[in-house]
Amino acid sequence: MSRLDTLKEQIRKALPDLDLVIGWERGFDPFHATPFHIKEEADIDRLIFDATCVHNLASFLTGLAGKKVGVVVKGCDSRTVVQLIQEKLIDRESVVIFGLPCTGVLDKAKLKAAVDLTRVSALDVDGDTVRITSGDETVEKDLKDLQATKCDSCKYPNPLEFDHLAGKPVEPHGDEAVQYDRIKAFEDTPVEERFDFWVGEMDRCIRCYACRNACPLCVCRDHCIGDSRDPHWLSQETDIRNKWMFQLIHAMHLAGRCTECGECERACPMDIPVLMFKKKLSSIVKDLFNYESGVDPTAVPPLFTFQVDEETINERGW
Amino acid sequence: MRIGVFVCHCGSNIAGTVDVVSVAEASKMFPDVVYATDEVYTCSEPGQKAIQDAVREHRLDGVVVASCSPRMHENTFRRAIEKAGLNRYMLEMANIREHVSWIGKDKEKNTFKSTELVHMAVEKLRRNQPLVPKTFEIDKTVLVVGGGVAGIQAALDCADGGLDVILVERESSIGGKMAKLDKTFPTVDCSTCILGPKMVDVAQHPNITLMTSSEVDEVNGYVGNFEVTIRRKATYVNNDLCTGCGLCSAKCPSKKALDKFNEGVGQTTAINIPFPQAIPKKAAIDPEYCIKFTKGKCGVCAKVCPTGAVNYEQQDELKTVKVGAVIAATGYSLFDHTRLEQYGGGRYPDVVTSLQYERMLSASGPTGGHIKRPSNGEEPKNIVFIQCVGSRDKSIDRPYCSGFCCMYTAKQAILTKDHLPDSQSYVFYMDIRAPGKLYDEFTRRAMEEYGARYVRGRVSMVYPKDGKLMVRGADTLAGTQMEVDADLVVLAVGAEAETGAPQLAEKLRISYDKYGFFLEGHPKLRPVETNTAGVFLAGSCQGPKDIPSSVGQGSAAAAKVLALFAKDMLESDPAVAEVNQRRCVGCLKCVRTCPFGAIKEIEARDGSTKAEVIDTVCQGCGICSVTCPHGAIQLKHFTDNQILAEVDALCLSWMDENYA
Amino acid sequence: MPVMDGRELRIVGFLCNWCSYGGADTAGVARFDQPTDLRIVRLPCTGRMDPLFVIKALLSGADGVLVSGCHPRDCHYSEGNFYARRRLEVLKQFLPVTGIDPERFEYTWVSASEGQKWQEVVTKFTERIHTLGPAPVIADAAERLKAANLG
Repeated sequence: MSRLDTLKEQIRKALPDLDLVIGWERGFDPFHATPFHIKEEADIDRLIFDATCVHNLASFLTGLAGKKVGVVVKGCDSRTVVQLIQEKLIDRESVVIFGLPCTGVLDKAKLKAAVDLTRVSALDVDGDTVRITSGDETVEKDLKDLQATKCDSCKYPNPLEFDHLAGKPVEPHGDEAVQYDRIKAFEDTPVEERFDFWVGEMDRCIRCYACRNACPLCVCRDHCIGDSRDPHWLSQETDIRNKWMFQLIHAMHLAGRCTECGECERACPMDIPVLMFKKKLSSIVKDLFNYESGVDPTAVPPLFTFQVDEETINERGW
Repeated sequence: MRIGVFVCHCGSNIAGTVDVVSVAEASKMFPDVVYATDEVYTCSEPGQKAIQDAVREHRLDGVVVASCSPRMHENTFRRAIEKAGLNRYMLEMANIREHVSWIGKDKEKNTFKSTELVHMAVEKLRRNQPLVPKTFEIDKTVLVVGGGVAGIQAALDCADGGLDVILVERESSIGGKMAKLDKTFPTVDCSTCILGPKMVDVAQHPNITLMTSSEVDEVNGYVGNFEVTIRRKATYVNNDLCTGCGLCSAKCPSKKALDKFNEGVGQTTAINIPFPQAIPKKAAIDPEYCIKFTKGKCGVCAKVCPTGAVNYEQQDELKTVKVGAVIAATGYSLFDHTRLEQYGGGRYPDVVTSLQYERMLSASGPTGGHIKRPSNGEEPKNIVFIQCVGSRDKSIDRPYCSGFCCMYTAKQAILTKDHLPDSQSYVFYMDIRAPGKLYDEFTRRAMEEYGARYVRGRVSMVYPKDGKLMVRGADTLAGTQMEVDADLVVLAVGAEAETGAPQLAEKLRISYDKYGFFLEGHPKLRPVETNTAGVFLAGSCQGPKDIPSSVGQGSAAAAKVLALFAKDMLESDPAVAEVNQRRCVGCLKCVRTCPFGAIKEIEARDGSTKAEVIDTVCQGCGICSVTCPHGAIQLKHFTDNQILAEVDALCLSWMDENYA
Repeated sequence: MPVMDGRELRIVGFLCNWCSYGGADTAGVARFDQPTDLRIVRLPCTGRMDPLFVIKALLSGADGVLVSGCHPRDCHYSEGNFYARRRLEVLKQFLPVTGIDPERFEYTWVSASEGQKWQEVVTKFTERIHTLGPAPVIADAAERLKAANLG
């Protein structure tokens, strides 16, 4: 039985006890998947799973409080679920987790750069090979070259928390160091250049809040301080200062919480590399507190606790 | 809003380096400011009246006072505007004295800075809300930590005032350092004779619960409602059964135990009562020397004890008590004289500390009041006193004066002459500090009537020669070197913070200075208060003090507690955190980080989880405000908006001016 | 002293009421001369110190931000500075990637009795900011980028 068939079977069995299961279906073209709700057995046939299933479906969980929900997760997505459980933002008892080992998902921007997407009629991923058909022509590409940047450094391809697992666990295939090398390279540029870089990026920001809305850990929802007057952290102007401030608020609020799912950056219509902020914070938290978010549902996030003597913090005694 | 700004000259303290008139003039440009003026002394009665008049005349609903630090006069001005009908929290202060006029002389810059500080205060005030305190009940029991003379005095005064007192003492008897002294200056009256009756009073007072061999383990709660866990260390003797007959120590075969009470002069038994006048008069075992503990067998004391009080299995006991206030009176410790090797302390038996010498002078001490050279038991002839051992010495990080050493040395020189009429005392000193009533006269008597030879200069070294100790030093008045062949050298060791003082301060949440002495609320005006409501100081834990000052502070601390407890209910500071229930998503991160357990989980009407602050428990630290990502929990009077307004007042206007 | 000549820079201080604010008062009472650039915001505790206030100030035109509280273990509220220490250290290490010079931010501990130390801290930090010069201005950078794109 294929991995997808196993998953369908698992959902079929569990569905009578659930209000709904969140999965992916094929979108409006071969390289898009769309999240959808499985509410009755007939819906199960629409379920898909392949490298186009980029969305972190755990993002929907906090909005479905009070319901008994099933959710299909990849390895990275499962960290979000763990984090939500840890922060008591969802109740473990009311969630059924269908886990899928993952070998990487596609990055649409990279795909777009590789082939002319307007004429694509079929897309098929087989192991490490991506087969793209445009008209009569079929080209083969290496998945490694087209996968999302986060997959390059993926450490957790297998779900960390699940009730059902479809398919055999896979070996981690990412190189964890890669992501930090990129940040290091950026930090090695002169500070004036970094300043100008972000001014340029933030100038392009259209303050659409797609990053926030896609973030599974932005649980404030209607009460985001980006929109509020009390407290009044930001004005509603779309100047660079306000937009930059918003991104840094978003990042700082995720310090020690972000599971690096990358939904913020994926959702950004302007392709602003906002994940860099969160990646950096995760590496700081790892260095300082030897802590990784979304791994242990019983751990306490490092900024909600302290040690009387902090061995890793050089106190500025001057 | 209608804001009035009052800029204080503070005589010339501010006006000397700040153009206060133009600060007031410039303030009129800030939003909502309808009135601004300068006053010579805003805190004076006419100054306060001017504020009150202006509030009425100009219908002000907020006041900014630009003057000294709010730590100085915030309460003064809060009361003043309250009398004019405003809520006390509708006041903001701009600190233009400590933070401006006193730290720089550039009038132009100071004036600009002062104006900006006023701007900040105005912007904050525009977002202030009237706040009203809540009241809560208090537990009218006071805990006194430390049973030296300061703690004893505080305990007795509180108890006489009708309060229940718990007196905790680390050692097995109260009495502290004073109990170890032979005589006291400047009257040369017997220390035990004046302290003893007070100790007995403590034991007999119906309102005092005495807990000896005990230490504070943990402190929770806040003024009026502290919860303190006290650890009674195992003494292996049941105090309820022990009658203090002393049979156990008479029969104890381990006779070489360290005699702590006698400062290591002589030895004692492993089970002992530290001194004859001990309160409570109960035996305790020192397990380090007890044969039962070190070798596993003996048990003599248990056999001879007529009441069966000895219990080798005894464990530490924890007891939690509820108190409304705490008086810390933990005293001091002595400088380790072996640190200054040039004096030979610890190396030569005939070099002793002043407190060891005090025990030698005492009739109830190990030598029965006879001064003897520890090396051979002979009477000394030449006795050298070295002052400032561990005081006024930057090189060993003890730059402060211990205050009482000059006086006790003079006393010891006098007593030496009384004990040994043929002796000659030498005192090497830096300066004589004798600023108390009859103190200087006393020192003079030591010199003039008792023939003590005072040498102004420091001792460079002490070395043994032919069975004597050669003390080499400078006589700076004569401009010569001098050497004395001494039989006994007494080091006037300075005072240090008691060991464990910083740890106790942390438990009590009070501050301490770099030497470990506890920090008073204000060096002049709040000498026995601390910055933590309900915690008071008495005696040398705050800094070295002689007996009269310690007793005075003990009484002062007691008076503060009695005043505090004169009310049945206390008012809580209304500047506490508050949850905006509409914004709260119920993640309860705030509950997790609150150090006081002041936030509870509630169920809202729609069944969702929310956080709620317990007003009287919240202490107003604001940790929760930063924990909450959506700003749902705000610390009143220090809300995000208030702080952001201050930041904006400083930064945005700056940016506009510089880059517009 | 270079700090005292010429124009001031904008330095914002966030101080705990119980320790460093008192330390600054102590320095004032002792008449310890200090550079005048610093403006102090009084907080009840460094536990109230949202690291985002630092970012807000630095993005709004401040040239430097200094946070000072009670020495660890010496918090009036027992735990405030423990949380602050973690939050501020994370911020300090985070700033480089944000394009904000981390040298423009510092945190330290000064007690109410340490007037002299406060003088040293203010003087050293002000000197540091003057060495760095005025903070870059967003509008200027945007202009630069626009010019570069056109050219």
